[in-house]
This record gives sequence, structure tokens and C-alpha cells, in this order.
Amino acid sequence: MDVLQAAEDLRRRSLVNYPRPLDRLIYLASMRDYNTGLYYHDGLASRYTAEVACEAMADCHKEAFRQLVSNSLEELVEQLEAYMTSTHTSPVDFIVAWKGLEPYRVAVPVESDPLAAQFLFSTFKVALAILESRLRPSAAPAA
Amino acid sequence: MIQLILFLSIGAALLFALTFSLRPRRAEGGSTALVQARQALSVLQGGLLPAEMVARVFDRTDLDYVELHGSSEVRRLFLEERTRVALLWISRVREQLQSLREFHAGAARHYAGLNPLTELSLLMDFTRLMLACRILQAFVYLRGPYTAPRIVGATAATAARVCSVSQESLAFLTPAYAAAGGNAARRAQ
Repeated sequence: MDVLQAAEDLRRRSLVNYPRPLDRLIYLASMRDYNTGLYYHDGLASRYTAEVACEAMADCHKEAFRQLVSNSLEELVEQLEAYMTSTHTSPVDFIVAWKGLEPYRVAVPVESDPLAAQFLFSTFKVALAILESRLRPSAAPAA
Repeated sequence: MIQLILFLSIGAALLFALTFSLRPRRAEGGSTALVQARQALSVLQGGLLPAEMVARVFDRTDLDYVELHGSSEVRRLFLEERTRVALLWISRVREQLQSLREFHAGAARHYAGLNPLTELSLLMDFTRLMLACRILQAFVYLRGPYTAPRIVGATAATAARVCSVSQESLAFLTPAYAAAGGNAARRAQ
């Protein structure tokens, strides 16, 4: 019960600032300790307990992952483009970094279904290729 | 000679019937097989077979989008990636079905969940599914993920049906079933 309340609290106070599933996925992954796999959120932990906050964040992370997997390629391209714009990084640098580092691989929840995760990684790869091809529209006819 | 064959056939049939009627209600050990079967069922029902997941992998919506908005290079990458994921889906479904089949061919007979005819029919369904997966694998490998939608649909539907039959035989493992007196009900069968 507490976990459900904490998750609702998190959605209302923090996640409301991240309307897109991709933004929520990245935000929630950034709240997770890489060494322990536990999520930390001081505000939520002070209102509930650290354990409840952690579980609520894990639930919301899984929810964002499921939503992102169910989104079409077109929706993912739009979200990725919006996210790229929100980072104020140059599109070329962003695409080079994302293609090289593949940060989305560490952004998925721990207990994700392996096929769903592979599917999402694969869709990210194509979405990045689409964004990259938009950056150099004049190069296509020469091929 | 014909009489001998007849006698042997009747003898074999009686032996088969006797084996099933005298089988133990619960085997000692075999818990690993049970747990593996339960895991396979959970992976199939929770991750691989939901209609939404099957549609995401095999539906043409994303391809239509790529054909409208992507270059030929992007289209090639998309088809490569989607073929890889589709082959992964098939091999994972096959792997989990194989695990369930092994359970039903071996350990399941020690549990009283299913009658012999249902078990036999289930094993035949498993064999058909394995074959369907192999055919699908060949189609996807050779011609991509969008060439055999009917086989995909039929395979997913049959696998889902087999899973629900299998789930009945494993229902006594779930806490809710045990709490509702599932063990007592099974013993009474």
C-alpha cells in the first residue's frame, strides 16, 4: 500500500516534469546506484522510508520501460529528438555519443525481459540512424 | 502369427494403462524440473507471447514508417535488426517450449494435474509447435520477419493455448492455489 502511494507521489511530484517515457526512463535510471542497483530519492524517502521509495521508483522505472517498448519506432524517434533538443548538445555530438556509448543499455530496469530489452536496444539503433540521416539529407542521392 | 501380434498389442495396451493408473501421485525430487517449467511458463506468458509483444516484433507499422522516412541504408539496417530480434523471439519461444515439453514428458507424469489423454495431446502440440518454430525460423532467416504473419499468429496462439493447459498442471505451485486448498483438491482427484 505504501509503495503504491509512494509511486503515485513520485508520479505527481517528480515524473510530471518528464512527460515522455524516454525522459522518465533516463531520469529513473539516473537515480539508481550502479553498484547496488538500489534507487535513491531523498524527498520520497523522507516522506516514506528508503525501502519504500526504492521499490516505488523501481515500479515506475519498469512502467516507463514497458511504455517505451510499446511505443512505435516513429514515437521513439520523436522522443529521442525531443530529448536531444532538451540536452542542448549539438545533434552531431549527441548522435556520435549515443551510437558509441549506447547509454540506453544501462538505462533499463534490472529485471527487464531480455527480449523486450533487446527489442528496445535495436529500435534505439534504428532511431539514431534515422536522426543521423536527417542531419545529412544531401548525402543520400550520392549513394 | 496374427494372434500373437494381437496378444502382444493387447498386452502392450494393458501395460500402458497399468503404468498410468499406478503412477505415483507425487515424485520424490523433481523440484528442479518443476521450477524450470514454472519459469518457462512465466517467461512465455509474461514476456514472449503477449499479443502486444508479438505485434511489436512482427507488425509492419515500423517498416512502413522507415520506408516513408528513412534512406535505403536505414531500411537495410532496420530489416537486419528486426530479423535479428524476430529470430531471437523464435529461438526463445522454442527454448522455453522445449523446457516445458521436457517437464511434461518426464516429471509431469508424477503429478496428478493432467489425465493421460491430455498429456498425450499436449505432447503432440509441443511437437507441432517445435516444427512450426523451425519453419518460421527458416522463413524469417531467408525472407525477413514480415513474410509469414499467419505462421507467427498460429504459433503464438497455439503456444498460448498449450501454456494455459500446462499452467493448470502447475497451478498447485502458486501460493493462491495452495491457500485455496488446491493440494487437498488435487489429492481428492
